[in-house]
Amino acid sequence: MKQSKKIGSKIYMTLIMIFFYLPIIYTIIFSFNSSRSLTKFEGFSLQWYEKMFHDSTMMESIFYTIVIALFATLISTIIGTITAIGLSKSNRILKGIVEQINDLPIMNPEIVTGIGLLMFFSALGVKKGFMTLLLAHIMFCIPYVILSVSPKLRSLDPNLADAALDLGATPWQALIKVIVPQIMPGIISGALIAFTMSFDDFIISYFVTGNGVNNISILVYTMSKRVNPSINALSSIIIVIITVVLLFVNIIPILKEKKERKNNET
Amino acid sequence: MRKLIQFKNIVKDFDGQLVLKGINLDIYENEFVTLLGPSGCGKTTLLRILGGFLNQTEGRVIFDNEEISHVPPYKREINTVFQKYALFPHMNVYDNIAFGLKIKKEPKDIIEQKVQRMLKLVNLEEYAKRNVTELSGGQQQRIAIARALVNEPMVLLLDEPLGALDLKLRKEMQHELKKIQQEVGITFIYVTHDQEEALTMSDKIVVMKDGEIQQIGSPTDIYNEPVNEFVAKFIGESNIIDGIMIDDYRVMFEDKIFDCVDYGFDKNEKIDVVIRPEDLDIVPRKDGKLKGIVRSVLFKGVHYETIVETKVGTSITVQMKVSDEKPVVNIEANEKMSANDFYLDVSDIEELTEATIVARADAQAWNPDTEELISIQKITYDIKPENGTYPVTFSTAAGTSVTINMIVKDENRVVNKEYQEEIFAVNFFKTVDELKESIALETDLKTWANASAWSLEDDTAVEITSIHYDFDPENIVSGTYTVTFATEGHEYMIDTTDKYEVGNEVGLMFQPQDIHIMKKG
Amino acid sequence: MRQFKNMAYPYMIWISIMIVVPMFMIFMYAFTKHGNDVATFWFTFDNFIRFFSDIIFINVLKQSLYIAVITTIICILLGYPVAYIIANSKEKNKVFLILLITLPTWINMLVRTYAWMGILQDNGILNNILSLFGLQTKLLHTDFAVILGMVYNFIPFMILQIHTSLTKMDKSLIEAASDLGADKIQCFLKIIFPLSLPGVISGITLVFLPAMSSFFIPKLLGGGQYVLIGNVIESQFLTAGNWNFGSAISLIIAVIIMISMYITKKIEVKNSTGKGGIIH
Repeated sequence: MKQSKKIGSKIYMTLIMIFFYLPIIYTIIFSFNSSRSLTKFEGFSLQWYEKMFHDSTMMESIFYTIVIALFATLISTIIGTITAIGLSKSNRILKGIVEQINDLPIMNPEIVTGIGLLMFFSALGVKKGFMTLLLAHIMFCIPYVILSVSPKLRSLDPNLADAALDLGATPWQALIKVIVPQIMPGIISGALIAFTMSFDDFIISYFVTGNGVNNISILVYTMSKRVNPSINALSSIIIVIITVVLLFVNIIPILKEKKERKNNET
Repeated sequence: MRKLIQFKNIVKDFDGQLVLKGINLDIYENEFVTLLGPSGCGKTTLLRILGGFLNQTEGRVIFDNEEISHVPPYKREINTVFQKYALFPHMNVYDNIAFGLKIKKEPKDIIEQKVQRMLKLVNLEEYAKRNVTELSGGQQQRIAIARALVNEPMVLLLDEPLGALDLKLRKEMQHELKKIQQEVGITFIYVTHDQEEALTMSDKIVVMKDGEIQQIGSPTDIYNEPVNEFVAKFIGESNIIDGIMIDDYRVMFEDKIFDCVDYGFDKNEKIDVVIRPEDLDIVPRKDGKLKGIVRSVLFKGVHYETIVETKVGTSITVQMKVSDEKPVVNIEANEKMSANDFYLDVSDIEELTEATIVARADAQAWNPDTEELISIQKITYDIKPENGTYPVTFSTAAGTSVTINMIVKDENRVVNKEYQEEIFAVNFFKTVDELKESIALETDLKTWANASAWSLEDDTAVEITSIHYDFDPENIVSGTYTVTFATEGHEYMIDTTDKYEVGNEVGLMFQPQDIHIMKKG
Repeated sequence: MRQFKNMAYPYMIWISIMIVVPMFMIFMYAFTKHGNDVATFWFTFDNFIRFFSDIIFINVLKQSLYIAVITTIICILLGYPVAYIIANSKEKNKVFLILLITLPTWINMLVRTYAWMGILQDNGILNNILSLFGLQTKLLHTDFAVILGMVYNFIPFMILQIHTSLTKMDKSLIEAASDLGADKIQCFLKIIFPLSLPGVISGITLVFLPAMSSFFIPKLLGGGQYVLIGNVIESQFLTAGNWNFGSAISLIIAVIIMISMYITKKIEVKNSTGKGGIIH
C-alpha cells in the first residue's frame, strides 16, 4: 500500500517535471537545428548562434536588457535598503501608508502599472526610450527590495544598534558597521529578485519604451510572428546563464556550511 | 567617596503612561549599585536614560558634575552590558571586543594589548578567533562584559545580564561579576528582578516599584529593616503581621504586648510587624510567646519550611439540605432533567445572569441512554431585588421542564473586625446523587453555597482556604448537614532544622531584636 | 537612532510621483472623454457605458474570466499534490525539488511561452505523439493552448504558496489529530487541508491576477485573432490610441480582480470557522 503510494507520487512528480522542462529542453535542442523548422530536427548546426551574433537588433536588445537590469538593480537596492531602514524607525501610521502604496505595483496587474506609467511619461512630455525604461524598472524593483530587507530589520535585536552607540560609534558608523552587515542576506536576495524582475520584465517595459530601445522580452514578442530560430539560440544562452547562476547561488551556501562544519570538527 | 551620578527628579512618560515618577538618586564612585524591582517598575528605563538610549521627560542627569541629558550615548563615558548580550553576530570574539577601540581609532598594537588583557580578565584567552554565535550563554556573557570594559568606562551598566543563564551558571557569574568589579574598581549599576542576586553582589540596593523608589540601603539594611510591606515581601520570605505600637520599644500583636528595639512611632500607631522565618524558633507549647498548630511542612534542602497557624481565619457555617429527589423524566423525548432550589443574596440580583442561574440551580438535562447532555433552551423567571421566593423554569427544546425556587434572603454574612474581612455563604439544597457524583467536592461546595470572602479595606477577594464538613459523601443520606468555610488565619513561616508533624501543637519563640516594625502603607 | 527615519522620506516623494500620480491618471482618464487634454476636464461615465453596452466587449470579458478561472482551478488541482509530495519528502530532496520548481520561473516568460508555440504546432512534437494514437488535432491557437500557456507560467506560484503553508504547519497538530482518533484521510480533510487554505488563497491571488490581465500568452498561443481583455487594453493604448477607454477597461479588470479576491478571502474565513473552529 505504502509502496504503491510512493511509486504513484514518483510518477506524478516525473510527469510534472516533464511538463516543466519540456519547453526548455525543446528550446535548447532546436537552437542547434540545421534547418528553419521548429518541428523537425534535421541535423546539428551552430548557424542560429552565428546569425544571432550578427543580428544587430538582437545584440542591442541583449545590451539594453543587461544595462537596464544592472542599473535598476543597483539603484533600487540602494534606495530600497535605505528606505527599509528609515521605515523601521518611523512611526506606525506613516509606515503603514508607505507599505500600502509600496504594495500597489506588486498587487496591481502589471498592465495597469504599465499604462499608468505610459500616460504619466507622456503627460510630462518625456521621450520614451532608455530613461523611461530605466525609471519604470527602478519603480517596480524597489518594492521587492523593501519587502526582502524589512523582515531582516524586524528580526534584528534592537539592542545591537544601541550596543554600537554605547561603544562609541556614531549613528552613521552603527549603521554601516553593525546594521548593514546584519541585513546583508536580505539586501542580496532583494538585489537578486530585482535583477531577475528587471531582466525578465515584458509587460511594463512594452508600454514605456520607444524609439527602438527594446529588451529581450519585447524582441521575442515582436519577432514571434515569424519563425526565427535565432530566438531559440538567444533563449538557450539565457537558460544556461540563469541555470548556472541559480545553481551557484543555491549550492554555495551548502558548500560553505559543509566547509565550516569541517573546520569546526578539526 | 565622590558623587558620580545624580538623578534629579527624573520623570519618564511613554505615550501618557508614567513609567518613572520623579526619581532622585545619588550614585558614588566604585559602588556596586543594584536597581531591584519587579518587571515594569521602571528600573530598565532608568538605566537606559543613563545610557543615553532614552530621553527623560523631566529632570536632570548629572554625571561627574556635568549635565549629560543631551549628550548622545556614543559620547558618554558609560558602557552597557545588554540583555541577551547584543554581541555582533557577524564579528568574532576579538572584533567584538575591539569594536569600541577601533571606532576610537586607537593604534593597532594598543588594541591588541587591551583586548588580550580583557580576554584574560574574563578567562577566555583561547577564544579570540571564535565566532560569537558558537559560544555558550556564559561565554557570550563574559564577552559582552569584556567588550564594555575594554573602553575603560567610569560606569558599567548591566541590564539583567544573568537572566538568560541557568541557575548554576548564574551563581558562578554572580561571584565573577563581583570579583571583576573589585578588580577594575569602577561603578557598576546592575538591574535585576532577582532579590538574591541583589543581596549577594551589591554595596547598595535601590528597591523600585511602579516608577518610584521604595527604599535605598545596604543589603543588610534592606533585609533586616524593610521600610514597608512591599520591600519586606520582595526581599526574601517574611511574616508580616498587623500590630499596634503601644509605646517606644513596646508593640502589640496577636493581642499580646512584646518588647522590641524599635522606637519613634506615634502612640497606638497601627504598624506592620515583620519577623523573618529564620528568626523564629519552634519550642514546646508552654514555653512559646505564641501558640499554634503546625499546618504544613515542606523540605527545602537545608531546612524545613514549617507553617504554624496561631489563629483561625474568618469562618461561616451554612446548612446543606440533602434530599433524594429523582430527576424529571420525559419519556416521549427520552430526556431526563434536574435542578435544585437555591438561596441568593439581595445584592446578587443586580448581576444575575442566566448562566449564573443555571450554575447555581445546577440545572441539567440529559439523555438517559447515552448520558449525553442536552442544552437548556429556555429559562423563564421573574425576580425583584427584595426578599422572597421566586420560581424559575428551565426547559429543553423537546419540552422537558423543571421549576425550582430562588430564595432571596439577606443574611449569612460574617464580618471579622480584627482581620477586616467579610465572608459570605448561603444555605443550599442538593440531592444525594449530586453529592455522590461530585468529583471535586470542595470546589462544588463553594459554588453551591456561593461562598466568597473579601477584604473590607480594599474589596479584594480573599481566598477561602479551609472547608469543613461532617458527612461522608460516599454514603450520604437525605437530611441536613453543616458546612463551614474559612479564610486563612494568622500563619507564621518558620525555618527549622527539625521536622515537625502536621497537627503538632507548638509554641513560637523570638527575641526583641527579631521584631522589625514598618509603617503602614 | 530616531534620526534614521529621515531616510524614508526620499522614497515617499518617489512613490507619490511614480506610483500615486500614474494611478490617479488612470482614474482621471477613465472618467473623462476622448481628447487627452487635462485642462478640459469633464466628468463622464461614457467609457464604462460603452464597454458594458457592447456585446463584443462583454464576450471578451466573459472569455477572459472563463480562461482565468479554469487556469486557476487547474493550477490548484495539479499544484496541490505537487506541494503535498514535496512537503512530505525528505529534507535533502526538498531543497532540490523546490529548486526544480523555481528554476523555470527565473527564465524569461516570453522565452518559455515561445517554446510552446513550436511544441504545439500542427506538426509539432505533441501532435506527433498524439498521432501515434490517431488523435492528431489542432492544438495551437485554441483555448487549450492559451490555458496550457497560463497554467505553465503560473503554476509554480501556486505550488510554492501551498508548500509554504504546508511546511509552516505545526506537525504536532497532525499528531494531536491522530491521537484523537482521526485516520489519515480525516487528518488531511479536517486538519491539513483547512490549515493549508491560506496558502491556496494566496496561490489563487498569484495565479488569477496575471491570468486575468495577461496579453502576450493569448497573442502567442491563441494567435492574432484571439482576444482577451488584456489585448483590448493593449490595442486601446498602442494602436487605437483611445487612452480614456483603455483606462476605463483597466479599472474594470482591477475592480473585478479585487472583488474576486474579496470573495475568495470570505470563503476561506467561512470555511475555517464553520468547519469546527480554526479561528485566525
